[in-house]
Amino acid sequence: MSALGELRSIGTKKVKGGSKAKTENKAAYLFLLPWFLGLGVITVGPMLASLYLSFTKYTLLSPPEFIGIDNFIRMIGDERLHNSLGVTFMYVFVSVPVQLGLALALAVVLNRGLSGLSFYRSVFYLPSLLGSSVAIAVLWKQVFGGQGLVNVLLGFFGIEGRGWISDPSTALSTLIILNVWTFGAPMVIFLAGLRQIPQMYLEAAEVDGATKWQRFFRVVLPLLTPIIFFNLVLQIIHAFQSFTQAFIISGGTGGPADSTLFYTLYLYNRGFANFDMGYAAAMAWFLLVIIGIFTAINFWASKYWVFYDD
Amino acid sequence: MKRITTRGARRSRRAAGFIAIAASAALVLSSCAGGTAAPAGDAPELSDEPVTLRFTWWGNDARTANTEAVIAAFEAENPNITIEPQFTDWAGYWDKLATETAANDTPDIIQMDEKYISTYGGRGALLDLNDAGVDLADFPESALDSGTLDDALYGIPVGLTSYSILANPTLLAAAGVELPDDETWTWDDFQKAGAAVSAAGGGSVYGAQSWGFEDGGLNNWARQHGDALYNDKGEVVIKPETLTSWWEYLLAITEEGVTPPVTATIEKQAGGLAESFTATNTAAFGTWWNSQLTALTEASGSPLQLLRIPTIDDAEEGSAFYKSSMYWSVSARTEHPAEAALFLDFMLNTEEAADLLLTERGVPANEKIRAYLTPKLSETDQEVVAFLDELADVVGEAPPITPPGGSAIEALVKQYTEQVLFGQATPSEAAAGFIKDLTASIDAA
Repeated sequence: MSALGELRSIGTKKVKGGSKAKTENKAAYLFLLPWFLGLGVITVGPMLASLYLSFTKYTLLSPPEFIGIDNFIRMIGDERLHNSLGVTFMYVFVSVPVQLGLALALAVVLNRGLSGLSFYRSVFYLPSLLGSSVAIAVLWKQVFGGQGLVNVLLGFFGIEGRGWISDPSTALSTLIILNVWTFGAPMVIFLAGLRQIPQMYLEAAEVDGATKWQRFFRVVLPLLTPIIFFNLVLQIIHAFQSFTQAFIISGGTGGPADSTLFYTLYLYNRGFANFDMGYAAAMAWFLLVIIGIFTAINFWASKYWVFYDD
Repeated sequence: MKRITTRGARRSRRAAGFIAIAASAALVLSSCAGGTAAPAGDAPELSDEPVTLRFTWWGNDARTANTEAVIAAFEAENPNITIEPQFTDWAGYWDKLATETAANDTPDIIQMDEKYISTYGGRGALLDLNDAGVDLADFPESALDSGTLDDALYGIPVGLTSYSILANPTLLAAAGVELPDDETWTWDDFQKAGAAVSAAGGGSVYGAQSWGFEDGGLNNWARQHGDALYNDKGEVVIKPETLTSWWEYLLAITEEGVTPPVTATIEKQAGGLAESFTATNTAAFGTWWNSQLTALTEASGSPLQLLRIPTIDDAEEGSAFYKSSMYWSVSARTEHPAEAALFLDFMLNTEEAADLLLTERGVPANEKIRAYLTPKLSETDQEVVAFLDELADVVGEAPPITPPGGSAIEALVKQYTEQVLFGQATPSEAAAGFIKDLTASIDAA
């Protein structure tokens, strides 16, 4: 909301700014035109279409038929939907904190002036580039399969493995591990944040007799909270939208026994396997609301723990 | 969705003017979606211009090879027509076809399954092939009926198959188990023989591949119990007791170790036919459509024996049935209906194509082609034909056609079987849930 207010005030200022500013604005809009077109055709248009479809019964093969809020009412009684929400929340609220913790820890280690830093940075960043790809999901399936690498390693220690991905009690954990493994992107951002912390604060703290841990928890961490906040918002949204990994690993079903049925995967199945596109559109908008709520909570809570040093 | 949450607020003002543009663009796009069904009446004329047809099928390596050979033969005869093949395995096929259909990008020629034909045909996505220019004279009426909905022929049956057991005599012999007499054997005999193989196999060879994950097995079980999934009106009528007994049996043989552990079964499923227990010689029995004998013999490299499905003691008469293994359908939106029909005619009615396709897609439904082909077949393929012929005395009426929305059964069977076998639901809970979900899916269609 505040961003919108800010935008409004900027807008009014510009209009009042005289004819030269107006011409400049026109030029800017002209340059932005391709982007606007893309936004309209690729993002806004389909979103509006999807909003309309969420109020219809649409079987893909015949034209949509307006049914009001029936789809949303059906969602209330849909047990598989509730289950998929449970799976998704579990995934988001376990994998994001663990992932960010790991990213921060490694960023701190890498920030201590290791030689070959750029090499390590690239190596740790690599999984982030690959993590949501089909190839990695396929690889993951092999690694955690009954005859996979994990079981071979466990075998060396005399531990009998199991089909991690085909057992409902462990299947979701493998997906969580996959998400945690892609800690590279937040790590790079943490590294940049750590570089921004003025050395003089740390030196002053040292002079005052602060221990290493005190320096980290009392100086570094508070100064890093805006970065943590940024990563948290981004990763939560990202995790809510996860789809590819579960789709590939469960063969599109969310199985075994619905244990990896992410909300997005269920949405996809309703839309494309059951030809229930109106319902799927309604689910998509509900997901938007959920993500919106969590983002709002995040922003609200940030007032109490994020420290801006300015 | 991410975009609107994080940046949408800022964008919204600037974008306002463009929403109108986007909306009108959407209108233009959707008006194209209106569909251009080919005019009814006389068969459309062939073009002399270069024509490209997209042709999609699901299947295994053996099928890919023989289908590509048929395409090459057809293209040699019709130099102006190019056939663009597009194939996947069964699992990805329907997702892809649905996505393409929604995007108005349906392939011209589609390999169609019984579970989906009413879903697609009933919603106007398929062309009526009655007068499209394909010669249907040699097809039995009953076979054509199975592809007909409201007098429109949405799919021409390619071949016939029947649900069967593929036994591996080598594995049975190694375990000291005799090949059962398939005219008399019951599910109890099946369980005992399977348990003996598993016991001798020591965890690397099992009695039977689990089959509770697809609807063919359920359909068969229902018929043996005098029950059926649907009635003629397309309503779900299967009794909860039938489903409960099916899952109880599956649970019993799984717990006894006749079938491999559930986790192993789930893992193997992703690999399709080539990684199945039958193909990897790790299960003595497996349920398959009998036409799959060819592909599985090739994949496993061992001789396999076709057996009739075991029955219950007082099984319903005529519980076996012939199923159209698949159909050829043409998209209602194809720009080249005449050429598509020409290609179908080539595949269905010429001896040249029959020589290449053999029985891999089922025993040809075209009776003339079937008579022509039988003496020329390999030993394996002749077994496929003989099995179907001999079954004739126990075959009953074909089950009612799957209603629109009924294709959900595939996912539902899998989902509830997993719940039962992992102990998350009792067989009777699963039965109630299954009936409720399947009914809802058909009602929503």
